[in-house]
Amino acid sequence: MAEQTLNIPQLIVVAIVGFVVLRWFFSSPSSSSSNAPRPSAANSGRRIDPVQVEMLLQMFPQVGIREIMWDLQRNGGNPNATTERILSGRGLETPPISFQPHATETSANRQSTSSSNSASTIAAANAKSSQPDLITRYNLSSKLSAASQGDQSSTKNTSQTPSGKQAWSQNKAERAQLLQRRREEMILAARRKMEEKDRLAARNGISL
Amino acid sequence: MASATASRRLMHEYRALTIDSPEGITAGPIDEDNVFEWEAMIQGPEETPFEGGIFPATLSFPKDYPLSPPSMKFTCEMFHPNVYPSGLVCISILHPPGDDPNHYEQASERWSPIQSVEKILISVMSMLAEPNDESPANVEAAKMWRERRGEYENLVREKVRKLLGL
Repeated sequence: MAEQTLNIPQLIVVAIVGFVVLRWFFSSPSSSSSNAPRPSAANSGRRIDPVQVEMLLQMFPQVGIREIMWDLQRNGGNPNATTERILSGRGLETPPISFQPHATETSANRQSTSSSNSASTIAAANAKSSQPDLITRYNLSSKLSAASQGDQSSTKNTSQTPSGKQAWSQNKAERAQLLQRRREEMILAARRKMEEKDRLAARNGISL
Repeated sequence: MASATASRRLMHEYRALTIDSPEGITAGPIDEDNVFEWEAMIQGPEETPFEGGIFPATLSFPKDYPLSPPSMKFTCEMFHPNVYPSGLVCISILHPPGDDPNHYEQASERWSPIQSVEKILISVMSMLAEPNDESPANVEAAKMWRERRGEYENLVREKVRKLLGL
């Protein structure tokens, strides 16, 4: 009997202690989850659009990617504000070292993507400067000469293009072919039209 | 799951654009095995220096399309105030809503799932005709367009001809 009455307060004490321990356990993750808003504030950093970062980097290659990301994160991902800030000559703040953890996580890949991106844009720009025109790019020179040889057939072709509301094919390869043909016809028609304009201009004695 | 929805929607749009394409626009997947990468051709609008030109561009769709907008990049040289030197197009319809706390753009102008590839391409066409001076992507082009319109137009015309191999 006495043992049982002793047991009940003991049980209560155990329950209380257990409760407190559990509270403590739960509170420690929750205190770390109260830190979580900081990563989620840095999550607004995750909301930083890599496209925006890339845009800004292209506009201001002299500014570092971390400065751009830091500023974007602080102004809530507003590239216009960042742009204005850079243009106003105030310059961007140097991000604190504590910005690193989040930055390394995303900007590491970003840096790699952006560097590969900038490499590819440089490559693209180089390719662009030496980029062939659409005729060479889409291998249309043979079709162009064929078209200019038979001018009537080409005009027939152009008359086909405006009415070119093609049907939808169930076949994948056929669809791809149709699309390619429509693309080519568009380029060839434009080229022919431009040549025609040149001819008219030359006839009227107007240069260009 | 989301990407399945996106592919279905993209195929649907591809079909609609094939059957009834707007004047001067051709668009579709580069390779149907990957419907998230498209190539589009846009005709230069008439009575603009871009008239007579054909401009190729790529469209990259996110996996959660149509919740997020695609990005669009010209793969030819484009000298235009709203096109970055890299070819990336910067117009409001390609910006997700809520992207602009300064309210330069109205929400209705920005991307929403009820927009479509067709609407993007039509917007880009009208952008070629009427550059938006407020947020220039190519500062040099914007400046020339504003201050030396004649020179800008001649430069564009020259590029159009070069692109067609003339």
